[in-house]
Amino acid sequence: MAERNVESVNKVREAVSQDLLGGRIDLLLGWEKGHYWWQSRPLFARSEADLEKLAWDSFCAVNLSRYLLEELKDHDKVGVLVKGCDARAFNRLLQDNMVRREQVILYGLPCPGMLDYNRLVEKAGGAPLEITEENGRVIIKVGSGEQEAQRDDLLLDKCKDCRYPDPAVYDQLLFSPQGEKEVTERFKTVEELEEMSAEERFGYWEKELSRCLRCYACRQACPFCSCRECFVEQENPRWQGRAYQPSENFMFHLVRAYHGTGRCIDCGECERSCPVDIPLQELNRKLIKDINELYGDYEAGLDPEQEPPLLTYRPDDPAAFSEK
Amino acid sequence: MPRTGVFICHCGTNIAGTVDIDKTVEASRNFPGVVHADEYRYLCSEMGQDIITKAIKENDLDRVVVGTCSPRMHENTFRKAAAEAGLNPYLLEVANIREHCSWVHKDMEEATPKAIALLRAAAAKAALNEALEAPRLDVEKRALVIGGGIAGIQAALDIAEAGYEVDIVEKDPSIGGRMAQLEKTFPTLDCSACILTPKMVEAAQHPNINLLTYSEVDEVKGFVGQFDVKIRQKARYVDPVKCTGCGICWEKCPSKAPSEFEMGLSKRKSIYVPFAQAVPMVPVIDRDSCLYFRKGRCQICEKECPPQAIDYEQQDEIIERRYGAIVVATGFDQLDPTIYGEYGYGQHPDILTGLEFERIFNASGPTGGKVVKLSDGKPPKKVVFIQCIGSRDKARGMNYCSKICCMYTAKQAILLKEKVPDAKSYVFYIDVRTGGKGYEEFQRRAAEEHDVAYMRGQVGKIFPEDDHLVVRGIDSLTNRNIEIKADMVVLAAATVARGDAPELGRLVGINSDSYHFFNEAHPKLKPVETHTAGIFIAGACQAPKDIPETVSQASAAAVKAIGLLSKEKLQGEACTAEVIQSDCSGCLNCEAICPYTAITPVEIEERYKDGVLKRTVAEVNPALCQGCGSCAVTCRSGSINLKGFSNDQIMAEVDAICLQR
Ligand SMILES: Cc1cc2nc3c(=O)[nH]c(=O)nc-3n(C[C@H](O)[C@H](O)[C@H](O)COP(=O)(O)OP(=O)(O)OC[C@H]3O[C@@H](n4cnc5c(N)ncnc54)[C@H](O)[C@@H]3O)c2cc1C
Ligand code: SF4
Ligand code: SF4
Ligand code: SF4
Ligand code: SF4
Ligand code: SF4
Repeated sequence: MAERNVESVNKVREAVSQDLLGGRIDLLLGWEKGHYWWQSRPLFARSEADLEKLAWDSFCAVNLSRYLLEELKDHDKVGVLVKGCDARAFNRLLQDNMVRREQVILYGLPCPGMLDYNRLVEKAGGAPLEITEENGRVIIKVGSGEQEAQRDDLLLDKCKDCRYPDPAVYDQLLFSPQGEKEVTERFKTVEELEEMSAEERFGYWEKELSRCLRCYACRQACPFCSCRECFVEQENPRWQGRAYQPSENFMFHLVRAYHGTGRCIDCGECERSCPVDIPLQELNRKLIKDINELYGDYEAGLDPEQEPPLLTYRPDDPAAFSEK
Repeated sequence: MPRTGVFICHCGTNIAGTVDIDKTVEASRNFPGVVHADEYRYLCSEMGQDIITKAIKENDLDRVVVGTCSPRMHENTFRKAAAEAGLNPYLLEVANIREHCSWVHKDMEEATPKAIALLRAAAAKAALNEALEAPRLDVEKRALVIGGGIAGIQAALDIAEAGYEVDIVEKDPSIGGRMAQLEKTFPTLDCSACILTPKMVEAAQHPNINLLTYSEVDEVKGFVGQFDVKIRQKARYVDPVKCTGCGICWEKCPSKAPSEFEMGLSKRKSIYVPFAQAVPMVPVIDRDSCLYFRKGRCQICEKECPPQAIDYEQQDEIIERRYGAIVVATGFDQLDPTIYGEYGYGQHPDILTGLEFERIFNASGPTGGKVVKLSDGKPPKKVVFIQCIGSRDKARGMNYCSKICCMYTAKQAILLKEKVPDAKSYVFYIDVRTGGKGYEEFQRRAAEEHDVAYMRGQVGKIFPEDDHLVVRGIDSLTNRNIEIKADMVVLAAATVARGDAPELGRLVGINSDSYHFFNEAHPKLKPVETHTAGIFIAGACQAPKDIPETVSQASAAAVKAIGLLSKEKLQGEACTAEVIQSDCSGCLNCEAICPYTAITPVEIEERYKDGVLKRTVAEVNPALCQGCGSCAVTCRSGSINLKGFSNDQIMAEVDAICLQR
C-alpha cells in the first residue's frame, strides 16, 4: 500500500490545486512516491499533471522547507506542505532572513509521525510487501503472511520524540491539530553520555565520528545550514583540514553542532540523511538541553518573534566565569 | 616576504628572570620573514624606543614585533616609536611575554619555549598586518550625568564650572539622593540638609546645568564624543513653568500613600514633593494613588492651584540629545533585611534599618524629630544596634564590607544620647572599622563619652515580649550568652547596588561586578573610568562609600569628562569590522549582536543565471564600529573580518603555535 488514506491525499490535492492552477503560487513543494512504495520523495509541482503524483502517507519524512532556499531564486511565490518539523524549519529560515513570509504559502499538515522502513523489516522478520494502517496499528504483509505491530513502535527516531507534530506556522491547516505531545526520552541518550567519564565519552565519539565520510549530506539537509559558503569549504583561512582523520572529523562536527546552538529545530533530518548512521541528534540535543538549562526553555523554530538566547543579552544571563 | 624586526624586552628581571632572552632572540631570527632581532633591558624607555626606530630605518623593516608586557600597557608607546620611523603604527605587533608568560611561570625551561611560541605567532600575524588609518571624530561639548545624588550634583557642578553644558537625569522628583535623607553626618556632625541644600540650589541655578528630574535614560547609542541618548521625562501632571511651588495642591489633596522618602514610615499626599527642600519645588502626581486617575473623580488640586498648573493630560516626553561624555552616579540601596528571619524585621515597628532611624532623628521626619518608638510614641531607653546585616556574610549575603555602617552607627548612638540623655546603646559588631580622617576618634568618643557598649558577637534571635524586644546573642570574646531587653533595634543593613543597576549598565554599556556595582577600568590606576571610553562612574554606584569619598570621586570623574570635552577631535577606532559581502548570507545575526548598532542590512545585486538577483547582506558603519569583534565570532560562515584581527591573521597565529613552522 502506498497511500495511507486516499481521502486525505485528495483533500491536500484539492487545497493546493486551486492555488497552483489559479496562479496564486508558481510552484508547490510536496511529496511523491519514490522508487519503492516505502519511499516518498520531494515533488516539485507546477501543473495539474504534476499534482496527480502528490502523496501524503507514512513515509513523507523529507523536510521540504529547506528546498525554498533554491526554489525562491526562480519562483516568486511558492507553496509548501509543512509537517511540524517542516514548519519549524520554515521559521528557522524566516528568522535567518532566508525567506520572506509573503513569498510562501504554507499548507499545514498535523503529522502522525513517519515510519522507519528498517523497523518494518525488523518487525516483519523479512522484506515487507506492503502495509495497511488502522487505529494506531500497522499490519505488515510479508511473503509468509502478516505481522501486526503498534504504529508508535515503528516510527522514525526523529518522530518518536517529536514534541510539536502540529505546524507552528501555516496559512491553512488541512487537518485537525493533535496538540503538543508528551515526550519522555528526548534527552535520554544525552543524559547517558553525560554520565560517562570524559575519556569514555571521547572514545565513544571518536568511534562514531571515525565513520564520517564528510559527504556533508547532514549539512545539505539542515535548515540552519543556510550559509553561502560553509566554513568547511573556505580556503582563506582554511578552518577545516581536508584529511579524513579523527581530529578533522571532530573539528567539523563540533563546529557544525555549535553553529546550531539555539538554532537547531530538532527535525532530525541530519541524522536521517547520514549514510553511515552517525548519531548527530545526540550532539544537537546536548546543545538544546544546555540552552534550556542555561537560558530557560527555548524551542528553536516555534516562534520567530522570540529572541534567540545567544543573540540577546539579559542581565541575569549566567556568567560562570564572573560568579562570586 | 615581509621584512620583520623582533625586539625583546627584559623588563628588568620581570621577563629576563624567567625567560632566556638570548635563546629567544636566537630563535626569533629563524622565524619566516624575520631579518633582524634584538633585545634591550627596558624597551619602553626612551633608549629602547630609539633602538626600534633606528633598526627600522637601518634594516628597512616593514613589520615590527615586540616581545614585552601586555599591549594594554605599552602598545601605544611602541606604535608611536614605529610611526616615528615612518612605519604605519598598525604594522607593529605586541607579543605579551610578561603577563602571559614570565609572570605565570617559574621554570625557565618551560617559559622560554612558550615565549618563543608567542613571538612566532606574533610574527606570523604581523606578516599579514595591513596599514590602517584611525578616523578623527568630533566631540559634542556637553556631558550627561545620570543620578542626582551628591555624586551627580558635584560632578555636574565641576563640569559646568569648567564651561561645559551638563544635563542631570534624576529618576526621582527631586535631586539630592540618599544624602537628603540623612540627619547629621559623621565625623563632624554637621546637618546633612544644611550642607546639601546649597549645592542643590547651586546646581539648579547654574546657567550651564539643566536638571531633568523625574526622568530616566531610555537608550544610549553612539560612542565616546558622540553618545546619542534618549531620555524619558515622565509625566508629572504639573506644568513646571506655571507651578510656583506654593504647596496648596498637596495641602488640599485628600489622598495619601506611603512616602518613599520617609522609607514608608509616614504618608505623603498623592500630589507631592518628596521633601521640604526639594529641587525643583514642583510636585508630581502619583497615578497609582491619585483618586482622579483611579476613580475619575476628585480634581481638587486642579481646582485649587492658583496658576492652573495641573495638567492631567500630560504625557511622558522623550528628549533626544547628543553628549560627548557620560557620568553614571546612580548610588545605592539598603538591603531589605526581611530575608534574615531571625531579626524579625517587618514584624515589629521598633525594628528599624539604619536609614529608617536617620528619618526618626530628622525634624521633618515621621516623628517630627522626636526620637520615640513607633509602637507607642515613648522614647527608647535601650537601643540595640546590629552591624553587618548581610555584609561580610559569604553564606547568605554579600562578601564585602559595607564600609559606612560602623561610622553611622557610632553617629546614631551619639545623636541618640543627645536626644534621649538616659538612653543606653549596645552595638553588636564583628569588627569596628574606622579608617578615615577623624573617624577612629569619632567612634572612640561614642564608646567612651556617650555610653555605648560595644560587644563583639552575633545576634541569633529577636522577639517581642511584653512591651519590649528580647535580643538574644552571643559574646564571641567570652563565649557567653547575652540577652538584652531592648526598646528598639537598629539593623545596619548592607549597602547594595540599585535594583536596576544591571539594566542601566546594559543600557549605557558598562559592566559590573557580581554584586552589580559598576566596574572601574582599573582598581588602582583608573578608578573613575569604565571599560567604555567616555563613560565615567562616581559615588556609591561603584562600591559602598561615604560622602567625602563620593565627592572626591565625583570631582575626579568630572575632571576626566572635562579633559575629554576639551579635545578638538578624538582619534577613532582603526580596527573596525568589515563584511565580505559575497559570502554573507544575510542572516543578520551580526546585526542582532552588535552592541553599538553599527551593522545594518543593505541590498546588493548579483548575477544569477541570465539576470540579476537582489539580496540582503550586512554592512558595517565604520564610524559606529568600536572593533569589539562580537560580530566576527557570531558569523558562522566567517564572513566578517575585524581589521587588525582578521580571521586569517588569527588562524596564522594558531598555526604558528600548533604547527611550529
Ligand atoms: C543610614 C545611612 C547613614 C549615612 N550616614 C552618613 C554620614 O553620616 N556621613 C557620610 O559621609 N555618609 C553617610 N552615609 C553614606 C551616604 O549616604 C552616601 O555616601 C551618599 O549618599 C552617596 O551618594 P551618591 O550620590 O553616590 O548616591 P545616592 O545618594 O544614592 O544618589 C543617587 C541618585 O541617583 C538617582 N538614581 C538612581 N538610579 C537612577 C537611574 N537609573 N536614573 C536616574 N537616576 C537614578 C537616585 O534617585 C539618587 O538621587 C550614610 C548612609 C546610610 C545608608
Ligand atoms: S541539525 Fe539536524 S535536527 Fe537540527 S535543524 Fe539541522 S537537520 Fe534538523
Ligand atoms: S556547518 Fe556552520 S558554516 Fe557550515 S553551513 Fe552549517 S551553519 Fe553554516
Ligand atoms: S551525513 Fe554523515 S557521513 Fe556525511 S558528513 Fe554528515 S555525519 Fe558525516
Ligand atoms: S552573521 Fe555573517 S552571514 Fe549573517 S549577516 Fe552577518 S555577516 Fe552575513
Ligand atoms: S566589531 Fe562588529 S559587533 Fe563590534 S562594534 Fe564593530 S560591527 Fe559591531
